[in-house]
Amino acid sequence: MLGTYGPPAALLALCTAFSIASPQFRTWTNLRNVLDSASVLAVITVGLTFVLLLGAIDLSIEGVMAASGLSVALLLANNRNDVDLGFVAIIAAVALGACFGLANGLLSTRLRIPSFMTTLGVSAIGIGVATVLFGGIQPTISSPAVAEWANGQVLGLTRLTFVAAFVVVVGVLIQRYTRIGRYARVIGGAEDLAALSGVRVARYKTLAFTLAGALYGLGGVMVTIQLGSGIVAAGAGQNFTAITAAVVGGTLLSGGRGGVIQSVVGVLIVTVLANGLVLIGVSPYVQKAVQGIIVVAAVAITTWPLRERMRVVK
Amino acid sequence: MSIKVDDKIGTVRRAIPVRDARALFLRFMPGIVLVVLVLAVALANPLFLRPNSLLTAADSAAPLLVLAAGAMLVILCGSIDLSVAALASMCSVFVALWVPALGGWAVLAAVLVGATAGLIQGAVHVVAQIPSFIVTLGGLAVWSGIGLVASSAATVGVEGDSLEWAFTRIGDARIPSAALIAAGVAVLIAAVFWFTPVRRWFEAVGSAEPAAVLAGVPAAQIKLAAFTVSGACAGLAGGLLVARTYSGAPGLADSLLLPVVAAIVVGGTAITGGYGGIGRTVIGVLIITVLRVGLSVAGVDPSIEQIIYGVLVIGAVSLTIDRSKFQVMK
Amino acid sequence: MSVPVLNVVDLKKRYAETTALGGVTFEVRPHEVVGLIGENGAGKSTLLKSLVGLVQPDSGRIELRGNAVKLRSVAHAGSAGIGMVFQEQSLIPNVTVAENILLGAEGGAVRGGIYRWRELARRAQVQLDKIGCLVDPMAITDTLSFAQRQLVEIAKVLAIEERTHAEPVVLLDEPTSVLDSDEIEILFAQIERLRTHASVVFVSHRLDEVMKVADRVYVLRNGQTVGEFVPGQTDEAELQRMMIGRDAQGSHYHEDAQVDVSAKPVRLRVSGVSLKGVCDAVSFDVRRGEVVGLAGVQGSGREELSRALFGAETLSSGHISIEGEVKRFRSPRAAIAAGFGFVPAERRREGMVATMTIAENVTLPHITTVCNGPFLDRPRERRIVNDWVQKLRVKAPSIAASIATLSGGNQQKAVLARWMVSGDLRVLILDHPTRGLDVGAKSEVYKLIRTLSATDVAIVLLADSLEETIAMSHRVIVMKDGKVSAEIPAPVSSKPSPLEILERMI
Repeated sequence: MLGTYGPPAALLALCTAFSIASPQFRTWTNLRNVLDSASVLAVITVGLTFVLLLGAIDLSIEGVMAASGLSVALLLANNRNDVDLGFVAIIAAVALGACFGLANGLLSTRLRIPSFMTTLGVSAIGIGVATVLFGGIQPTISSPAVAEWANGQVLGLTRLTFVAAFVVVVGVLIQRYTRIGRYARVIGGAEDLAALSGVRVARYKTLAFTLAGALYGLGGVMVTIQLGSGIVAAGAGQNFTAITAAVVGGTLLSGGRGGVIQSVVGVLIVTVLANGLVLIGVSPYVQKAVQGIIVVAAVAITTWPLRERMRVVK
Repeated sequence: MSIKVDDKIGTVRRAIPVRDARALFLRFMPGIVLVVLVLAVALANPLFLRPNSLLTAADSAAPLLVLAAGAMLVILCGSIDLSVAALASMCSVFVALWVPALGGWAVLAAVLVGATAGLIQGAVHVVAQIPSFIVTLGGLAVWSGIGLVASSAATVGVEGDSLEWAFTRIGDARIPSAALIAAGVAVLIAAVFWFTPVRRWFEAVGSAEPAAVLAGVPAAQIKLAAFTVSGACAGLAGGLLVARTYSGAPGLADSLLLPVVAAIVVGGTAITGGYGGIGRTVIGVLIITVLRVGLSVAGVDPSIEQIIYGVLVIGAVSLTIDRSKFQVMK
Repeated sequence: MSVPVLNVVDLKKRYAETTALGGVTFEVRPHEVVGLIGENGAGKSTLLKSLVGLVQPDSGRIELRGNAVKLRSVAHAGSAGIGMVFQEQSLIPNVTVAENILLGAEGGAVRGGIYRWRELARRAQVQLDKIGCLVDPMAITDTLSFAQRQLVEIAKVLAIEERTHAEPVVLLDEPTSVLDSDEIEILFAQIERLRTHASVVFVSHRLDEVMKVADRVYVLRNGQTVGEFVPGQTDEAELQRMMIGRDAQGSHYHEDAQVDVSAKPVRLRVSGVSLKGVCDAVSFDVRRGEVVGLAGVQGSGREELSRALFGAETLSSGHISIEGEVKRFRSPRAAIAAGFGFVPAERRREGMVATMTIAENVTLPHITTVCNGPFLDRPRERRIVNDWVQKLRVKAPSIAASIATLSGGNQQKAVLARWMVSGDLRVLILDHPTRGLDVGAKSEVYKLIRTLSATDVAIVLLADSLEETIAMSHRVIVMKDGKVSAEIPAPVSSKPSPLEILERMI
C-alpha cells in the first residue's frame, strides 16, 4: 500500500501544502516552471531507473552529462570551431553517452566489480574528457534554431519538456514490452535464479547500462541547449538528485521494484519540493541536505523489517 | 602419530603462502610501482630528487594522506565512506568561520564535528543496516548542503596567522608541518594496529563478518569506530586545506574523493575489506602524488588527471577485489 | 520393458576431502514416479545438482533416452529434457507467473526483443493447464502462496516438453518440506497428474511420503545407491535400517570414554525458549560434562535454537540460565563472556577467518588472555597457542601460517582450540562439528568432545547423522516442527536404536 500510493499521495500533499503557503506556487506560470525544470531530471532518472531495476547503481551521470554536453556544444554551430552537424551532433552526443554506459556495463560485468566503483571511475573519466574538450574556452552555441528548443514555447511549455515527456513514454514502453526492460526487472528480482534459467545476465545488464548512458547523454545535450554553451559542470548535483527522485518515487535501490512511472512521480516530488521551498523562502542550499536525508530515510524505512542480529550489510 | 610444531618463524604475523601469487602481487606491487614512478620522474627531471622538491611533494600529499588514512579504516572493515571529501569541505567552512573566535583551536573543533558526522553515518549504517555506500552518499549530500548553507555558497577567507602552524616549514631541514601532521596520523594508526588487537578485529570484520561476530568480535563498535575516525580525519584534512588556501569553501575538497579512493586501492587495500593497512595507504598516497608531479613534469594536460584517476580506481579495484565474497555482483 | 528415459550409471563426485557421490546408479522409466530416499548427507543434493548441470561429476554416465549427455547448466539440462523443482524455489518474485514459466525460453512469445504478452500468457496457460493449476498467468509471483508457487515451478519444468518435443524428467527436491498436510495431499494428487506428462524423480528423507507416491524407491547412503525397492512389497523397518546403516563402531566414537554424569549438577537450563516462526517453548537441561544431542530433520528448528543459545538469534520468549543464573545474551560476545563456545556448521564462512593466521584465529574470541591491558603480548600468545596446537595435535607448519592452508580436520581442531584458551569454557555448542571431515579427523574430534565432557563442559551437539548423535550423546532431545517431541536417554550400556529416534523426528 505505502509503496504504491505513498509517493503520489506525498506529491499531492506537497502541492496542497505549498499552494496554501504560497500564492505564487498555485499559478499556471509556476506549474509550467515546475514541468520545464523537471525535464532534464526526468530524462536522466528514466535512464537511471533501468540501472536501479537491476539492483545496481550508477554514479557516472555527472561525468556522462559533462562529456556529452561538451561534445554537442562543439559539434553544433559554435564559437570554437566551424563544425555544424545539426541534428547529427545530438545523435553523436547521445551515442557518446551510450558508449559510457556500455563501458559501465562491460566493466561491471566482465571485471566483476561492484557498479558503484566502476561508475564512480567512469564518471571521473567523463569529467576528464569534458575538461579536455572544454580546453579553457567555453564553447557557446551560436545557432538560434537550437536556442529555440529551450526558449520557444508550445502550449506554454518548452520543446525540451515535450522531449522529456516523449522519453518517459518510450521508457515505459521499453520497460513493459522489451526484453531489456523485462530482464532488467528479472535480474533485479533474483540475479542468480535468472542465470539458472539461462538468462544471459551479463548481456542484459550491459544493455540496461547502455540505455541509461544514452539517456544521460541526452540529458547532457538538453542542459547544454538550455545553457546555450557547454560546461563541465553540466550535470553537477544531478546524479544524487536523480537517485533521490527514483528512490522517493518507489524504485528501490535493492532492485527489481518500481519503474519508470514511479521514478517520474519521484522526479515531480523532488522538483515540486525544490520549487516550493524556494517560493516560501528557504535557502536553495538546504535542498541538497534534505535530499540526502530523504534518500537514507527512504532506504531505512523500506529495509527496516529486514534487520536481523546476524545480518551482514557492508 | 607425532606432530611436529615448528615455531622458527618467531613472531605471530600474517604469513602469506608463497604459492599464492596474487597475495605476493598485492604485497609488493604497490612498492615496486612507486619506485618505478619515482625513477621515471627523476629521469625526466633530475631536479625532482632534490630535497626541496621532495619536501614540496610531501607537503602537497598531506591532506590526501589524512583523508585516505581514515577512509582506509572504513574500507578495511568492508564498508566504504564516500562522504570524506564532502565532509572535509564542510569542515573547511567551519574552520574558516570559527578561526576569528577560536584561533587555531578551530581545527580541533572541526575534527570533533567531523568525528560526530562520521559517528552518525556509522550509527545509521549499523543500526538501520543500510549499505554504507548509500548512507555515505546521503551523507555526502547532507554535508555539502550544510557547508553551502553555513557559507552561503561562498568562499570564507581567513586572516591572521592562527593556522600558520599547519602550513609552515620547520627547522633547518625545512620540513613541512602539514606532512608531519599527516605522518603523525599514520604513525598513530600504525601504532594502534601494531600494539593492540584492534587490527585483527578490523581484518576479521572485513574479511568474514559472520565468523568475526561468532568469535565475539565487537563488529558494530569496530564499524562505528572506523566511521568516526574517518570523519575526524576529514575534519583535520579540512583544517589543513584552510591553512594552505587561507580560506574555507563548500566545494574545497570535493575533488579529492576520487584521489582518496584511488590512493587506497592503488596501495593494495582490497575494496572488499579484510586486507590492507596504513603502510599500503601511505604508499598509495605517494604513488598518486608522484604521479601528479610526473604528469606536470611530462607536460601532460592536468585535465587528464581525472581520467587517470578513473582508470586507476577501476584497474586497482579489479586487481585487489575478493570476488569470492559476492554471490552476485550488484 | 521400454527404454529408460533417464539412466544414471556409477556417478561419482569427490570434493577436496570428502566423497559426495561414490557410485550412484539408477534408472527412470517413462511415466514412472521414482523415489530417492536417504538421510541428510547421503548425497541427494549433489546427485540432483549433477542431474541439472550445477555440479560436474568426476566420472560415470548420465543417459537421456539412451544418449549419454554432459550437462553444463540448468538451462542446458532443460533443453536436454531434465528440469528440477527446487526446494527453496527458483521463481523470480517480482515478475509475472507467465514470465517465470517461460523465462529464458520465451520462443515466439518474444519477437525481436518485443514482448507479446497475450501469446506469453497463452503459452504459460498451456503449462498450467497440464497440472490443472488455477493460478492467473499474469499474477505477480510473490502474491502467490508457497504451495501455488510450487505448482508454478512444476509448470515451468513442464514447459521443457514444448522445447524438446519429448516428455521431460521432473526432479522434485524435498517438495513437501515446507507444506502443511493438506497441501501435501494436493501435491501428491498433482504428481499423479504429472506422470501423464512426464517421468518424475521424487527426492525426500521422509519415508512415509516416498512409500506413498513412488512406483519404485532407491535408497541412498554415503553417496551410493544401496538398494532398490517396490513400496508395498518391502518392510518399512527394513528400508529404514538400510537408510541409516549399521556400520557403527563404538571405538570410532570412543564410547568407552563416555563419563557418567547422572550425579552432576545442571549447568545449562533452557526454559521455554521460543524463536519467532522457528521454535516454540523449548525446554531442556544440560548437566556438567553432559553431551546432549539435538536431533531433528531440516526445518525442525534445532539449528536456529542452537544459534539462539549462543546469542546469535533473538529470543521471542523464554530464557536460558547457567548454574542457576538467568542470562539474556544480546550478542555472541555476551555469550562468550559467560563461558559459552560455538562451533558453527559452515566452518569456512562462520567458523574461522580464512585470511588470518592460526594463532590469530585461536586467540580471537578470548584476546584478553594474551593481552596486557590494551596491548598484545605476542610472546605469551605464541606460548599459549603453541601449547594448544600441540595438545590438540593440530598439524601445521607454524602457528603463523594462514589457517586456510590447513586441512579441514586441522582447521576444525584450531576452531575448537579457540574456546579452550580461556580455561573457563562452560558450555560448548557444536553445530555439525564433523561435517566434511574424513574418518580419521572425525574420530579425533569425537575424542576431543569426550575429553571436554570429562572436564565438566556442558555440550550441546547437533550431529551429522543419527548414528553420531546416538553414539556421542548422554541424552538425545528430539525436535519436530519447532517443539521437543521426545527426550531419550542414551547411556553407554543401552544406546537407543536409530529407529526409536527417527520415529519421533517425522
